[in-house]
Amino acid sequence: MAIINQATRELQVKIVYYGPAMGGKTTNLFQVHDHVQTAAGNKGKLVSLATSSDRTLFFDFLPIEALAIKGYRTKFQLYTVPGQVIYNTTRQLVLRGVDGLVFVADSQFEKMAENVESFVNLEENLKCLKLDLAEIPYVLQYNKRDLPNAAPIEYMEFLLNNREVQVPSFASVAHKCEGVFETLNMITRLLLNKFVAQSTPQYA
Amino acid sequence: MGTLPQLVEEDIRQLDDTLHELLTRSDATTALVIDKAGFLITHVGGRRHFDLTSIAALASGAYAANQTIARLVREENFSSIYQQGQKYSILATNVDEHCLLVTIFKATVSVGAVKYFAAPTCARIAEQMKIAHAREPAAGLDLSALNLVDPSAIFKRRA
Repeated sequence: MAIINQATRELQVKIVYYGPAMGGKTTNLFQVHDHVQTAAGNKGKLVSLATSSDRTLFFDFLPIEALAIKGYRTKFQLYTVPGQVIYNTTRQLVLRGVDGLVFVADSQFEKMAENVESFVNLEENLKCLKLDLAEIPYVLQYNKRDLPNAAPIEYMEFLLNNREVQVPSFASVAHKCEGVFETLNMITRLLLNKFVAQSTPQYA
Repeated sequence: MGTLPQLVEEDIRQLDDTLHELLTRSDATTALVIDKAGFLITHVGGRRHFDLTSIAALASGAYAANQTIARLVREENFSSIYQQGQKYSILATNVDEHCLLVTIFKATVSVGAVKYFAAPTCARIAEQMKIAHAREPAAGLDLSALNLVDPSAIFKRRA
């Protein structure tokens, strides 16, 4: 849950990148870290708890501050979860206190079952934390669009974005930084709009 | 998302005073109040020496992981983790459902003393956080004052 520190005029928000193994979650964070435009000193250090073969073991963590919000220092804490099936307990831990989600799906045809399995797993893990996906802002990112065996976007939309309320989705090639900032900007926008909406005084 | 815990100046002042007292009594170097989601709420001491943002994120993860391990061995009474170092040691202590107290202290300082003084510190922090959580959201901060300049491009890619 977001923290608002009125004393220091800071808003802290947690965004978690979720999705199947090797889908590009960590690559998203690396690209944001490498390319984000920040005022001097505002870019945090990327912390990666990975195995010796660079697979995410616990989480990756990148704190960044937004340029575009006046009045408050808005700090976004970006996390990834380990995608491998065996690390489900770890994924639950990282989801704790989540404000917004980016689901990074792998566009390759043969990864569709893993995408769906991971999405179902996300919903289950949120339930364990007494959270409901319908109440959490999230966006979908269809990564690896440059691969020859990428499934059509329409097909991925049918599999992953076929709900009562459709969420924004983005095609991406994360290792080339294509679609990475579009995705990040959309989830931050959804989050901030939600905060503003829920803080607006209600009049009878 | 429910109500947002809004911390006003009085909350932070009370928390900082409590942390100052802990450092004075225990001879610790740095004390942090962190949210279990990984946010740094406030701290006293040590900003120049340590990357406290990363420490907050990692300490919350480490605490959660150890708590889960404890549950797996049917340990019901889990309230702290202690990392013993050669230069600095770290004690992370449970405050309440949402928060942890992280105390960083030189290896020469007794962990027993830190634990002893951390206990009442946690109780005082919990009390203050209870007040903050109970506060009416509208009584604190109007987030519409965020004044989004251009929400379509909050983060810009370097050219």
